[in-house]
Amino acid sequence: MDFLQNLLPHLLNGLALGLLFALIALGFTLIVSVMEVINLAHGSLFALGAYLAMVIINPDLAGWGALDAFYMGLPLGARYVIALVFAPLLIAVLGFGLEILLRRTYGKKKEYGLLLTFGAALVLEETIRLVWGPGEKVMPTPQTLSGAFIAGDMIYSTYRVYATVFGAFAIGMVWLFLDKTPYGAIIKAGAHDSEMVRALGINLPRLQMLVFGFGAALAAIAGIILTPIWGLRPHVGVDATIPAFLIIVLGGIGSFWGTVMGGIAVGLAVGLTGAYASDWSLLSMYLLLVAVLTFRGRGLFGKKTALEA
Amino acid sequence: MLTSSSGAPIVTQPMLAFFAVLFTFPLWAEAAGLYHYLGVEIAIFIIYALGYNLLLGYAGLPSFGHGAFFGIGAYSYGLWQFGPLPGVFLGLAAAIAGAALAAGLVALFLSHRRGIYFALMTIAFGQIFWFLSIRLRGITGGEDGLLNILRPKLNVGWFSVNLSSNATVYYGVAILLTILIVLLWRLVHSPFGTALQAIRMNEMRARFAGYRVWLIKWTVFTLSGAIAGMAGALLALTQESAYPDVMSLHASGFVVMMTLIGGGFVSFWGPVVGALVFILARDVLGAATETWLLWYGLLFMVVMLVEPEGVVGVWLKLQARLKRLGPQPKPAEGKVSL
Repeated sequence: MDFLQNLLPHLLNGLALGLLFALIALGFTLIVSVMEVINLAHGSLFALGAYLAMVIINPDLAGWGALDAFYMGLPLGARYVIALVFAPLLIAVLGFGLEILLRRTYGKKKEYGLLLTFGAALVLEETIRLVWGPGEKVMPTPQTLSGAFIAGDMIYSTYRVYATVFGAFAIGMVWLFLDKTPYGAIIKAGAHDSEMVRALGINLPRLQMLVFGFGAALAAIAGIILTPIWGLRPHVGVDATIPAFLIIVLGGIGSFWGTVMGGIAVGLAVGLTGAYASDWSLLSMYLLLVAVLTFRGRGLFGKKTALEA
Repeated sequence: MLTSSSGAPIVTQPMLAFFAVLFTFPLWAEAAGLYHYLGVEIAIFIIYALGYNLLLGYAGLPSFGHGAFFGIGAYSYGLWQFGPLPGVFLGLAAAIAGAALAAGLVALFLSHRRGIYFALMTIAFGQIFWFLSIRLRGITGGEDGLLNILRPKLNVGWFSVNLSSNATVYYGVAILLTILIVLLWRLVHSPFGTALQAIRMNEMRARFAGYRVWLIKWTVFTLSGAIAGMAGALLALTQESAYPDVMSLHASGFVVMMTLIGGGFVSFWGPVVGALVFILARDVLGAATETWLLWYGLLFMVVMLVEPEGVVGVWLKLQARLKRLGPQPKPAEGKVSL
């Protein structure tokens, strides 16, 4: 029992990481499924979302007088919630813009779209470096979320519990949206056969734009929740998307539950190995990937789809 | 002119022109405001991009983790020089073997995949090697990499060449590049090259036509990885060090950029032009501004939006427009032999 109890905090860490990785991966998968574009700027959107949230929480409003006094007078918690809503919205708008640029590459070779997003990733990362500097920043979080509490004999970090619950909640909402609303049905249909969706009279370009924005917003949300754990630096986007890429391949491209399961598996593997050999914790997810791919070439839940053509 | 069995000439006019520029470069480099080291770097990246284009341009397989094999080549070469039998040729052989081994292993997982699956899996495998290169500190030196890889003497028969000057290294790399270009030109005009293009145009049809598609894909991936390894070894030789940066996702993206910006999809010479433009643009932008990556990224975006077929693509279009004044239609699909 002692042994298991010692593991509990690490399991919690792993679960928090895994669910947030899965959230990044879900946004990415949605974009891949509907537009057949590998969005290499996904990590930069993740990072930019976190930076924007940081600015929204503690803006430099000196010179605005009354507005400054009013806004900074709000409790940190309120500003945090405002950031959690508006930073992803701003990133979604950026996503719209990126999708509009991408339209020129549709119907041509897929590599062109992929490389356009690669260029965008370079631009976004350098912009972050230019505006906020290359150093590490701190993402502010409300007082109630920081600190730790004791349950049983173990100390748990409050923030990790919050991150776990938030991750699970966000994934649940995405599932409800995709599975239980007519918009979700249209998105899934668009992923399955976009020509048919267009033939049914649905505005496909608008659908694609919204899906790209939605996926980008998911990355931004994950960025806001994950960066207090990971630290906020210009390179953080790449660090976060690499596990997301692995998760997508591991779970099977285009599969919702595959992505979620892949995320949890990777998170737990990283969390548990982190307990014993923290330097090597990331290796476990690579080994997991190779092990799964050896036996299931398309990942856990992957099916043969149009994406392979 | 000499021709091979398939009717394609073994040496073409553009090839001769390129070789002429290649081998006279050290003579006029300084007059043009360039320097020998830049030439070495460009030649190395041309090797890298040419090998990569075998995969991307000919077989239509987008690898986004090719930096791994470049890096493995660099490390293998470096480690070999620390061993009991240092030497240029043995080091290069070790690098090619090491990279081919790694690429062959990865290709076992990849050769049945296509499209986005293929691309994502190459990213995943590329990251594995990148991670190992940073974490296996005892072997690779971690984030710092391998330093002080002394340039050994190059022994050819009775001659012994001192590689301490960049001009000498340049000629060595140029000779290798010449051999590679002749071999690759021959390869892409062989039945194997035709099979690669068949796979790019329609993999299923290629399979129905009786090609063992997975084996061809495995072979081309391994070959392309081996060439990347050779390029990596040459860079390690030149810079006297090997470091993990070249294996990162960004570095892997750069070789794709190089290949496309020149026009890898439309011409054999695309990667050559692309590597040249890429390195020169990096130097010019890097000298002009600290934030060159920002402008670089914007440049890529503009190229992908306006003219994704790259420099050679523009050239071919201009040529076609000139020809349209006279008779003779242009073939639409397939490789254009310059």
